[in-house]
Amino acid sequence: MTTMIRVENVAKAFTLHNQGGVRLPVFGDVNFSVEAGEALVLAGASGAGKSSLLRILYGNYRPSSGTIHITHGGKPVDIVAAVPRTVLDIRRRTLGFVSQFLRVIPRVSALDIVRDPLLARGATPEEASERAKAMLARLNLPERLWNLAPATFSGGEQQRVNIARSFVDPSAIMLIDEPTASLDAANRDVVVELIAEARGKGSAIVGIFHDEAVRERVATRYLDITDFRKAS
Amino acid sequence: MTLHATFPDTALDPAPLLSVAGVSRFYGERIGCKDVSFDLWPGEVLGVVGESGSGKSTLLRCLAGIDRPDAGEVLFRGLDTPLDIYSVPEQERRKLMRTAWGIVHQNPRDGLRMDVSAGGNVGERLMDRGDRHYGQIRERALDWLSRVEISGTRIDDRPRQFSGGMQQRLQIARVLVSEPRLVFMDEPTGGLDVSVQAKLLDLLRVLVRDLGLAAIIVTHDLAVARLLTDRLMVMKDGHVIEQGLTDQVLDDPHHAYTQLLTSAVLSV
Ligand SMILES: Nc1ncnc2c1ncn2[C@@H]1O[C@H](COP(=O)(O)OP(=O)(O)OP(=O)(O)O)[C@@H](O)[C@H]1O
Ligand SMILES: Nc1ncnc2c1ncn2[C@@H]1O[C@H](COP(=O)(O)OP(=O)(O)OP(=O)(O)O)[C@@H](O)[C@H]1O
Ligand SMILES: [Mg+2]
Ligand SMILES: [Mg+2]
Repeated sequence: MTTMIRVENVAKAFTLHNQGGVRLPVFGDVNFSVEAGEALVLAGASGAGKSSLLRILYGNYRPSSGTIHITHGGKPVDIVAAVPRTVLDIRRRTLGFVSQFLRVIPRVSALDIVRDPLLARGATPEEASERAKAMLARLNLPERLWNLAPATFSGGEQQRVNIARSFVDPSAIMLIDEPTASLDAANRDVVVELIAEARGKGSAIVGIFHDEAVRERVATRYLDITDFRKAS
Repeated sequence: MTLHATFPDTALDPAPLLSVAGVSRFYGERIGCKDVSFDLWPGEVLGVVGESGSGKSTLLRCLAGIDRPDAGEVLFRGLDTPLDIYSVPEQERRKLMRTAWGIVHQNPRDGLRMDVSAGGNVGERLMDRGDRHYGQIRERALDWLSRVEISGTRIDDRPRQFSGGMQQRLQIARVLVSEPRLVFMDEPTGGLDVSVQAKLLDLLRVLVRDLGLAAIIVTHDLAVARLLTDRLMVMKDGHVIEQGLTDQVLDDPHHAYTQLLTSAVLSV
């Protein structure tokens, strides 16, 4: 088994300087690792810190202390201490983040948004288009939308573009925050299948799913964040 | 979020393109910028944000070779041997500014020759570089006009016949045609209305990515910074108070001032 993520002694507190400097501890003493092919599901009540932990794994939030080694190019790299260009390189080649919301870029079409990660990793334009179209079709996005910029799409349509982009070429590590929140049952099923396929190809998955049925179909293991709260 | 076809393999780049150490500039008693240090790697886009008067333009002018800092060093490593840009004669620095790097001014009038045709404005940079073949220069000028979405039929028009947004796009074509390694931009979308801004931003985003440019972009607009930059430097009263990966600084700001800055906008 290959360890893809190793979290050691991670703690997080926010200091809200403009609200009287109040310190908001979220969790402490977090230790776990994730192997290739596993799907670790983060559990815990609203506000427990699930999203914060996922963002810390992505290098988006900075932990107050601790280290997070990501296996990147065959070697463990501490994303907490890494310089920006290394973090970006890790994200480009190893680490994907699937959020609930698509960050819309003006004037870029849905198809181009989905093609982009393939092109970035060296696919030919034809191959990229083909795979991107197949993925959009699989997620039941109407073909008339493919060449439009998603700014005017519905929430669920944008979310499917986002999922298509993330799963068209799954990263070795996929961090997933509530990807099915505004999807109907049929599309939820597709997402569950996509996650299982990525895992089958060896991706390590860390995810948050508020839908219990989805959670149970996806998880190979659970981690309850609440357990780390008292340590903060 | 990145959207482009080729990535420079930054992890393998051994040396930065620009090394800045202890740069300070004063206006009499007043601090313009104080003790700024950082390295910039090829293909990296650095944003400089901060409120009005925080020293962003002062710093950019020092870095770009326009104003000599009172202290500190700006080392350009894009040539065979590293060049301390303020230790060489003025003439050599000017040549570097015209050939290896580009400057996009907030006001297009500062970057364009207003009495020269659009084609001439773009072609001039190629001639500075030593190109002499008129047909080829005109062809490349046409190519660049189309890349910045200016119709080839306007090639003989003067910039003053263009709208503000077109002038800004023309300035960008003039700067990028000579294929600089490093580009400095001060509020490149500053004077434009919102719809024109969005278009120009998208254009810049694509060009910067596709050409693998390193760039330093001054803006007071955090949404612009989010869209265009990899790294962010936050300035206040002439000092850099926080820096890091752009999404880190914007989503999990640590300094009181950065928290104020990010909470002042509803959604970036
Ligand atoms: N950028 C931030 N600045 C300040 N506080 C934050 C920030 N992000 C999260 N928090 C706080 O951290 C705590 C944990 O939030 P987080 O979003 O991680 O919870 P969660 O477990 O994902 O909750 P939910 O299930 O509702 O999504 C909350 O109290 C939240 O207000
Ligand atoms: N030529 C000058 N002479 C004297 N003081 C100057 C000069 N240029 C700038 N300053 C002062 O230096 C400080 C920094 O100015 P600078 O123009 O760098 O700010 P800025 O961050 O670019 O602001 P803005 O967002 O308004 O463009 C300000 O206090 C300004 O008044
Ligand atoms: Mg959450
Ligand atoms: Mg300024």
